[in-house]
Amino acid sequence: MKIKNIIITFVSAIAILFSTSVVSLAKVVGDKIILGAAISLTGKYSSNGVHTQNGYNMAVDRINDMGGIKVGGKTYKFDIIYYDDESNPKRAAQLAERLISQDGVEFMLGPYSSGLTKAIAPVTEKYGVPMVEANGASRSLFTKGYKYLFAVLAPANLYLDVAIETAVELNGGKGVRIAQAFEQDAFSQDVRLGILDAAERTGSKIIIDDKLPKELNDMAATLAKVKAVKPDVLVVSGHTKGALTAIRQIAEMKVDVPMLAMTHCDAAKLSKQHGKNSQYALCASQWHKTLTYKDDFFKDGMTYAADFEKLFGYDPPYQSAESSAALLVFKDAFERANSFDQKKVRDALADTNMQTFYGNIKFAEGGQNVDKPMVLFQVMCDDAGKCENKVVAPLKWASAELIHPIPKWSER
Amino acid sequence: MNKNIILYGAILIFGIAAPFIFPAFKVQLSILCILIILAITWNVQGGEMGYNTFGNILFYGLGMYLCASVQVGMFFPLGEWTEGGGEKTFVHTPAQFFQGFAVGLAVAAVVPAIIAGLIGYSILGLRGHYFAICTLGLGVAAGEISGGIEIIGAGQGFTTPPFPNVDRLEARGEFFYFCSFIVLVFTFLAVKAIYSTRFKLVLNAIRDNEDKAEAMGIQTMKYKIIGWMISAFFCGLAGGIMGGLVGYIDSTDVAFDGREMGVFMVLMAILGGKGTLWGPVIGATLFHIFKEGFWTFFLGWQYVALGVLIVVIVIYFPEGIMGWLREKYPERFGEVVDEADRKAQVTLK
Repeated sequence: MKIKNIIITFVSAIAILFSTSVVSLAKVVGDKIILGAAISLTGKYSSNGVHTQNGYNMAVDRINDMGGIKVGGKTYKFDIIYYDDESNPKRAAQLAERLISQDGVEFMLGPYSSGLTKAIAPVTEKYGVPMVEANGASRSLFTKGYKYLFAVLAPANLYLDVAIETAVELNGGKGVRIAQAFEQDAFSQDVRLGILDAAERTGSKIIIDDKLPKELNDMAATLAKVKAVKPDVLVVSGHTKGALTAIRQIAEMKVDVPMLAMTHCDAAKLSKQHGKNSQYALCASQWHKTLTYKDDFFKDGMTYAADFEKLFGYDPPYQSAESSAALLVFKDAFERANSFDQKKVRDALADTNMQTFYGNIKFAEGGQNVDKPMVLFQVMCDDAGKCENKVVAPLKWASAELIHPIPKWSER
Repeated sequence: MNKNIILYGAILIFGIAAPFIFPAFKVQLSILCILIILAITWNVQGGEMGYNTFGNILFYGLGMYLCASVQVGMFFPLGEWTEGGGEKTFVHTPAQFFQGFAVGLAVAAVVPAIIAGLIGYSILGLRGHYFAICTLGLGVAAGEISGGIEIIGAGQGFTTPPFPNVDRLEARGEFFYFCSFIVLVFTFLAVKAIYSTRFKLVLNAIRDNEDKAEAMGIQTMKYKIIGWMISAFFCGLAGGIMGGLVGYIDSTDVAFDGREMGVFMVLMAILGGKGTLWGPVIGATLFHIFKEGFWTFFLGWQYVALGVLIVVIVIYFPEGIMGWLREKYPERFGEVVDEADRKAQVTLK
């Protein structure tokens, strides 16, 4: 009897849950513009997923507090429906479908990572739902002819391009020997393609070209090879885990290389977590707080960083900044379109040409932002062991000079 | 008999009408069909034959990659399609899309079946835990290997051809729903037909005592291999459809997704009751409903909720729902029960 009761309770509970979930929300309810987003709250991208969500939330609050969005003489406020995609593309595609067909969302924000964006883009494209994404940089996203996809960030193949060029320049214009290790995912593999292009252009040679597994927590094999062949540049990319693993093991194994170029140093909070061990690491970044871009909502990078830290208790990585920028782009597009018609909003998005605290935003045919270069920063520490990220390239924004080559471990 | 016809008819009509009754749930319904197919096919090994396999995900993933590769490769150079930096954009015409998908599905069914035969020949000699661990390795290895093959996108993943523009927004969802529903019906009928022959009895004999079965002159190896090939055939089909439905294939997260799909198919069969025809169907349906509910209403705690569900299943329904029903209402399952004897046993307890 007891079991029967349990079953009846379960089944009725599920029935109720389902009946409530059928009630769909419209895209604009009252004075709210409801955006949808699938975010990695669990799984391997969860830390970056949270950076993304924090960026979205902060911008929503800021825009709402500062008067909201004016469309057709009426003021609207942003609201976001979130789902957890578990860092899984299959789940992300389902959730996009669900946001659109069940929740009635007509405008989407992107997920975290290129792989998940790749899974969602076909869905938003099919329904003609404009999506402004801030965290899918893979070049292949922009070659598929998507019309409703807009990325506020520069494509992934440009991430570490500058690092190779700098290395070649410092080598007197001669090609360098590159060792590289990339995670097996869409983004990192695209960074790799960028390096291959740069290597060919500069006559550099790739002497180690390793692939790292997705559940990345050991790259000792690659580093042992690096120790043996002594390349001029070591390039590592594998999201947050890749950056943390690389720094930890390079310090443990005392691997000496003249230049260490990586991605995701700020998202991994390298300078905080690994202190002096992370010193001299060169990192590609979409944004840095010291850049001098400005807008009306967040003023500039420094103000944004201070406000962000007050809210969330840490220095904003670029993933948060670009996510905030995505909402500024949406607001701007809604106001210029002066309508909630998806086609009109899409056209307005395509015509975007604005400056935000995060950088200039202007979309190319494929949807990528072509008006914002990447920056490189280097982790630099003072004698007390306090480390900071300082921009070293491009020179226009450099706040410190690149330290090259990296001193040997025996001399540190 | 009459009752059965009414039941099947009702389910068939519901299946056909479902996407029109719940238009917003088409994707979930399609995935439900896929899940049921996976549970039914897992049950052939895990339930009827007593071989707990984690390797069926291999055939599912293979089917997915094969179907998409054929669909693209028939009309465009595959290498250029999957190349990350490819600046070319290829678009399938509707005719190309459907032709490619049909041929792709055929390949996605046949090749995994052949591979199941080859692999089965070498590892179906293992028994018990050894077999389970060995098949677990198959899925993991396949994920890592496929993540390194450039022509199918390697770590970049593989974007399957987008559904052609046919001026009807609902077309894509309906197409994939009916594909998966038809394959489900086909799978169910095929397995039902097989279960009504001697084949099922042989599988059961293998489960209950393989040595004895062999001693009776049954070539157990042959039956084990054929059983696995049948499973692989339908798993491959399910994978092919799922690839098109998701639209993006990633080696370890979508195709050879042993951590999720690979475990789910086992769970669903056990929840419904392994070793029964309807068990996996009921198990998969309930599991999917629970899962979707948890994922919506316990955001962030979904895996905890799922874990609790698994514990409840194991404690209260160790034999699955069908097993529980069978114990509760044995008459409905054609078992004759002596009421006096049963009462005597109950009072003894």
